[in-house]
Amino acid sequence: MSKRIEIFCGTGGVGKTTLATARALQLATCGKKILLITIDPAKRLKEVLSLPDDDSGQVHRVPAQQFKEFCGEREIHLDALLMSPKSTMERMGKEQGTLEDLDNPIIKILTRPNGGMNEIMATIEVQHYLKSGDYDLIILDTPPGKHFIDFLVSSKKINSFFDKTFIEIFKYVGKSIGKSEKTGLFQMVVSSGVKKLLSYLGKVTGADFVDTFIDAIIGLYKTKDSFLEALRFQENLKIKEFSNWFLVTSVEQQKMEEAQEMREGALQFMHSDSYLGVNKCLGPHLSDWNPSSREQQTLKDSMRDRENRLKEAAGKSFDKVLEFPVVLGASPNQHVIELARAFQDYDPPV
Amino acid sequence: MKDPISNSSSQHSTPSNKLIRKLYVVTGKGGVGKTSLALSMALHLKNSGRKVFYNSFDHTPDHQLLKSLDIPYLDLDIVDSAKTYMGKKLKSQTIASWIMKTPFFHSLFNMIPGLGMMILLGQIIELLEDDPELTIVLDSPASGHALTMFESSHNFRDMFKTGLIVDDIDRMHRFIYGEGILKTVIACLPTQMALTEGTELLESLKELKIEDIQLVSNDNYHLTPGVSDSSEKDLPNFLIKKVELEKEVSAKLNLQDNLLLAHIPTIHKKEVIEALSPSMEGLL
Repeated sequence: MSKRIEIFCGTGGVGKTTLATARALQLATCGKKILLITIDPAKRLKEVLSLPDDDSGQVHRVPAQQFKEFCGEREIHLDALLMSPKSTMERMGKEQGTLEDLDNPIIKILTRPNGGMNEIMATIEVQHYLKSGDYDLIILDTPPGKHFIDFLVSSKKINSFFDKTFIEIFKYVGKSIGKSEKTGLFQMVVSSGVKKLLSYLGKVTGADFVDTFIDAIIGLYKTKDSFLEALRFQENLKIKEFSNWFLVTSVEQQKMEEAQEMREGALQFMHSDSYLGVNKCLGPHLSDWNPSSREQQTLKDSMRDRENRLKEAAGKSFDKVLEFPVVLGASPNQHVIELARAFQDYDPPV
Repeated sequence: MKDPISNSSSQHSTPSNKLIRKLYVVTGKGGVGKTSLALSMALHLKNSGRKVFYNSFDHTPDHQLLKSLDIPYLDLDIVDSAKTYMGKKLKSQTIASWIMKTPFFHSLFNMIPGLGMMILLGQIIELLEDDPELTIVLDSPASGHALTMFESSHNFRDMFKTGLIVDDIDRMHRFIYGEGILKTVIACLPTQMALTEGTELLESLKELKIEDIQLVSNDNYHLTPGVSDSSEKDLPNFLIKKVELEKEVSAKLNLQDNLLLAHIPTIHKKEVIEALSPSMEGLL
């Protein structure tokens, strides 16, 4: 069995998006059908791949032409997707026939591009494409730092959201949510404080909101089968044969502690067979440099120290460390190509 | 090298000629040095005799570093803040605690991270309203998540329409959009990617009617001693290349000289922050 997904995570600005794109390009050039997904709302991917700036949530084909220098005349199957919570929600609505129920002001506001739902909607979207079978492998570029952990916790959040406590709300409001759910005035009175809870909520938010809110919950509840698909993704992350994950650091930043913290956090949700990518290594550039002044010596020493310190710490906590060279070109294209070459040399098995 | 501490306290002890804002929000692309800049600003304000708190919105701060710099940290917890808020609205802390404990509310809170962010921001504003002497430096999340933070109050205003929460949101907005209250600092590196992200963020913030924004370019190698005073022939190739790129991006940024910060050649965070802090005057 070959792996279905590769996950790139790390603190901000270490080069996750560029490395993920490089890996996608390298694997696509080997003939694999690849989907590259970014769930970072900053969406640097559109810059790296010169994609149109839209929130459509549509898949874009990356023209091989753009990376001709790397793939030559070969055809590549490389698609890219910028997450859009709104279109994920719409797709689920279509799947479950609940588009009308989801046409709710609260849901619309929450699924705005910066509405804060990105991480949760992303797990659903990723699982959707895994299930579709359209791709050999999905490469996932994740949001920085603790937002990556938020992403991993998402399916747990979804699960508890659809927890049985919610059913009690519907009993209280007497709205039918499905054939099997019996509603009754009596049950409502005895149910555990949900009535009280909503009356308090109404005090703070106004009664209109409570109505719209309940409608939103009902809409989401009716769509819950699509939401709960995300749980499958979560379960699979524990399986080594299912995924590769790359924690990315950069020698330009002294953030090994943060990387270790992320690894610890991630290990609660994922298997431990991970790679550490050390990006922007200066290596030979530094050893070839003969400083011509005391100030230059200080600069060289500090640059060498930070690189060595990071590599040393990396070797201690990770079995598999991949070093990537600094790329000194302005164009994102050049960065992707040079890093894809580095990936070609390492060729981590999928 | 000059001692950065004595430097900052002797030269910058007169903040009175400058309007010190109540709230500084430092944001920008990941890895541009938001934390270093936010801490340098807090240190500079403290050294100028200002009462200042540092707060980081989405990561646990390096307490040891804060202690060694003697910068007071404002410790806010989302759940506690929400509980306090609900308690005030319902005039009962007991009920508020009970509500926050219900699995229903708890999972709702988890699903909507913007809600927590708004409550934290609300609490920060309340602290600032209560204490006219206080300045808070907020080490904010990177661009996308910073927008979630700034947008959330607008989003929830749209959502609730009327009621007590909307009154509070309006009060929050009146305060934060008031003159001389909030200044947003967008940190950026002299690289094309950071520049693009910084400029995009600037546009999005302007759409939210946030006007007082300052871009600053951090970690410029071409300003570091040893590079700034060397001719090209004395520099290694990779630095020549780097300096070239930096200058290219800087030309597009078009910032005043005091908003271009040098790369500090040390691996110790404390030294970086102390060295940067005098240059923070230009950002206040």
